[in-house]
Amino acid sequence: MNIFTEPVGVSHYLVVGAVMFVAGAVCMATKRNALGVLMGIELVLNGANVNFVAFGSQYLRPGANIGLDGQLIALFVIVLAAAEAAVALAITLNFYNNHSTVDVDQADELKG
Amino acid sequence: MEPINWHSVFFMLFSLVACGFSLAVVLTSNIVRMAFYLVIALAATSGLFFLAGADFVGAMQIMIYVGGTLVLLIFGVMLTAKGPFINMKTAAGEWILATIVGGSLFVVLLSAATNVPSWQALDERPAEAQVTATRLGMALMGARVDALEEADPVTRRGLSGYLLPFEIVSVHLLVVLIGAAYLARPKKRARGSADSL
Amino acid sequence: MDPVSILPKLLGAAWLIPLASFTLIVFFGPRMGKAGNKAGYLATAAIGTSCALSLFALFFVWLPSYGVPPALEHAAADHASTDHEAGDHEAAAGHESSGHDAAHADAATVKPIVGDWYTLGKFGALQLTIGYYIDSLTVLMFAMVTIIATLIHFYAYGYMHDELHDVVDHEVRLSDGHHLHRPGRFYRFFQYLSLFCFSMLGIVIAGNIAMVFVFWELVGICSYFLIGFYYERKSASNAANKAFIVNRIGDFGMIIGLMALFASLATFNFGDIDYDGNGAIEVAERGIFSQVRTPENHFAIAVPEGMVRATAPGHDPYWMLVIAGIGIFCGCVGKSAQFPLHVWLPDAMEGPTPVSALVHSATMVAAGVYLVGRFFPVFAPEVLLVIAITGCITLFIAATIAITAVDIKRVLAYSTVSQLGYMMLALGVGGWSAGMFHLVTHAFFKSLLFMCSGSVIHACHTNDMTKMGGLRKKMPWTAYTMLVGCLAIMGAGVPFSIWLAFSGHYSKDAILAQALSFSTSNPSLSILFYVAAAGAAITAFYMFRLWFMTFAGEPRDHHIYDHAHESPKIMYYPLVVLAVFAIGSGWSLFGFGVQPLLEQARPAGILAETHGVLLPELVHPNEHTSHIDAFHVPATIWATSTALAGFLLAVVFYGLRLLDAREVSQQFQPIYRFLVHKWYFDELYGFLFVRPVLFVSRRVAEFDKRVIDRFIDNLALGVRMISTFDDLIDRYLVDGAVNTTAGWLYGLGRWFHGAETGKLRQYVMFIVVGTVGLFVLITFYLNSTYAG
Repeated sequence: MNIFTEPVGVSHYLVVGAVMFVAGAVCMATKRNALGVLMGIELVLNGANVNFVAFGSQYLRPGANIGLDGQLIALFVIVLAAAEAAVALAITLNFYNNHSTVDVDQADELKG
Repeated sequence: MEPINWHSVFFMLFSLVACGFSLAVVLTSNIVRMAFYLVIALAATSGLFFLAGADFVGAMQIMIYVGGTLVLLIFGVMLTAKGPFINMKTAAGEWILATIVGGSLFVVLLSAATNVPSWQALDERPAEAQVTATRLGMALMGARVDALEEADPVTRRGLSGYLLPFEIVSVHLLVVLIGAAYLARPKKRARGSADSL
Repeated sequence: MDPVSILPKLLGAAWLIPLASFTLIVFFGPRMGKAGNKAGYLATAAIGTSCALSLFALFFVWLPSYGVPPALEHAAADHASTDHEAGDHEAAAGHESSGHDAAHADAATVKPIVGDWYTLGKFGALQLTIGYYIDSLTVLMFAMVTIIATLIHFYAYGYMHDELHDVVDHEVRLSDGHHLHRPGRFYRFFQYLSLFCFSMLGIVIAGNIAMVFVFWELVGICSYFLIGFYYERKSASNAANKAFIVNRIGDFGMIIGLMALFASLATFNFGDIDYDGNGAIEVAERGIFSQVRTPENHFAIAVPEGMVRATAPGHDPYWMLVIAGIGIFCGCVGKSAQFPLHVWLPDAMEGPTPVSALVHSATMVAAGVYLVGRFFPVFAPEVLLVIAITGCITLFIAATIAITAVDIKRVLAYSTVSQLGYMMLALGVGGWSAGMFHLVTHAFFKSLLFMCSGSVIHACHTNDMTKMGGLRKKMPWTAYTMLVGCLAIMGAGVPFSIWLAFSGHYSKDAILAQALSFSTSNPSLSILFYVAAAGAAITAFYMFRLWFMTFAGEPRDHHIYDHAHESPKIMYYPLVVLAVFAIGSGWSLFGFGVQPLLEQARPAGILAETHGVLLPELVHPNEHTSHIDAFHVPATIWATSTALAGFLLAVVFYGLRLLDAREVSQQFQPIYRFLVHKWYFDELYGFLFVRPVLFVSRRVAEFDKRVIDRFIDNLALGVRMISTFDDLIDRYLVDGAVNTTAGWLYGLGRWFHGAETGKLRQYVMFIVVGTVGLFVLITFYLNSTYAG
């Protein structure tokens, strides 16, 4: 099977999205730096976006796609990611101002 | 010898870049490098969007994500990038745990992605590419020009535009920006307020 | 001045002022001056005002309006001829001498002023009102009661001064061996005196028998309060209870009489009240008196229509009249301490002496006699016979007991009982004015005697006559006023004079004359006259025994004698005033006197000679008959000689001490013991009533304890066992289940709590694990095909 001649399908995109999603999740789980966690979130959102776009693609699934909905939801996700990034960054900076650190392990006020 | 499917080739290129730099983001512990790798991974993702025919979304990906969100993140990195915070090591145990958990999630996702027959690659291709910006813009304005040819009136009735979600998202964005500005503003001295009391 | 409109106002005010005083003292007594001494002023001022109003009513309203009544001699002279006629009639046929005689005799009678002040409520035929029935008897009683009460208030102000500061009661020993210390109760004494005056005047002025009953009970409760004034003393509280309970027995009979009267006559009113104001008295507006003695029947007693209707067929309605009369008389027996309910009065001497003087000699016990007099028209001849016999027994028993008593107040108490017996006897033999006359004169000299004895007790701090003696040198005022009292009660005086005698002389003469007249008409009952005459001798004997033991001879106890002193002026001035009344209240000078005044109040129709229905031989002679010389002269001679005999006996025993009383008492040991133990009445009642009641109570208590209590106890035990069982179930089953569940949940919470590390990254891990778990679940356990 030659990857240069074979056409790609939705599955391929889904695999890429899965890789990015898992990378983001692992990133969130392992990074102690708050900004690292934020980056993990961006990765997770992107992985999901890849899926949306793939499912709405005319090229990959002509006639059986979800049409413009996929692209539009992807757009919304992008916008929400931007908003989320702004707020999360503000929270991070605030946390940094208060605790003089960006180590999320120090932010255990939620401990039960 | 079959002709080289350039779509597949570029897909492989962008997907490898995206996956590779995503993993790099995970693996490196230097926050500055993480930001840089992320920029590359996201840019590669926008390439994948173009390949999937979502030209407008791909453009937005570059403009908003790479140009806006990540710049914001990098601002954050630069503001907090003091000696001890640049390299924050994670304990090995956590690594192992995260790998196991993430691996199992990946396996689950992979099996789901590859085991559905209708998601497999198709041979035929649509002859021409269509520019999606107009249709998206009209949909956001409330008109689904792409669905005008829809034969089934029941289906067509469900294909209304996205004006209301668009408005909601716009207001949401505004609120978020104001909230972010408020959260990040410099703190006043507590003594001043105590005097005023 | 129109007496019909002014008298109810005057006497009503005189009646209510003591109530105002009582109310004020109840609420503000302790704050009236130092230790409440102003309360004494207030009460005295109130009763003084009442007294002034009453005297005003008597002298400036009644007498000017109804004229000076004819003097006794005139009345007697007027009647001399008719009396002979009546005697002739009697001798000739013994028929009912009614119309002519009665109409003639009633010429002196003044129509009573009757009416209602206020209607409390009207329930069908039952109309409860505050009404008045004013005749010369009412006015006279008002004057008498308020004069005596006023003097006693003054006297009590001196006598009770100990109560102005803290009191050490030497007769009460507390459990720790000390004497009782208590704050003074000066104001409370006057508070009760005011209430008593109000109640007594209420009885006197009452216009209906229901109102009489209310004030009757009020007098009873006042008596209870005042007898128990030193309620810390066991004897005082016992005496108060005894007085109250014994009176209840009499009042029970009175209630029966009230029911009989109301059920048959449908009214409580004494007199006729013109309710619709048309100037005429319809049958429905008739009071009790005119229903029993209707004008149509020439005021002769007859069974009224109502009683005939109310009696079951086949029974004699006359019995109803008898029962009603005896029922009312029962109340009087209790209140006036007549045999067999006389036992409470001597014990009532536990109260302070002013109380004895006011309540238990002159006024309250007089209420019974007054009611008999007031109700006289309703009493059938048979009832009158019961009254006479009761009075006769009482006077004899009480007089004999008084001979041996050594407590100065008890002597006087028995003397009171005896004199009340005289009054009842007089009323019972038909001597209405004689009984009422003796009621008035006795009130004066008996209150005088009591206050004198109070003065002695005040000086000696003991009631025991055997520790006194020779006191006349120490306290001359008391001694000689008391001598006046003794002479008055004995009935000393020049026979057949109109003023050279003490008041008791005239009233006792009248009683004996009527008794003699009655005995002549009813020879089988002549014992009544002889007992009364003997009673006069005994009275004189014990009264002078008292006086000699107290005031004459040598002091028996020098310690007491040396500390004795004359009482303060506020105490002996009233004695002097009362002594004047004791001497003069029997006189009929210048056409005015108590007895002629009473003639104005004589109920219509009672002068007529009446014959018994159930006892046909019973004859009640016309009272005016007793004024003729055939009865009057022997009665006076009897009275004077018996009194003189008693007096001489007392002189022999106690004045000159020619005979030793102790030797005599030892010679007649059984009789002496019998008298000392008061005829064993208390023991008899104790045996007849108290012990059986206690026996039954004990049995009942035992039944209670043995059966009911045991049943309840067992029941309680059973319930307790069930509860214990229930408690176990509750504790181990219900609580256990709840607690175990709660424990599990708590443990679960603790366990989950461990997961709440607060570490963000861990949470992300959980999310991922959860997602994977969900996937696994969907893939392997849910038979889902939508993905394909």
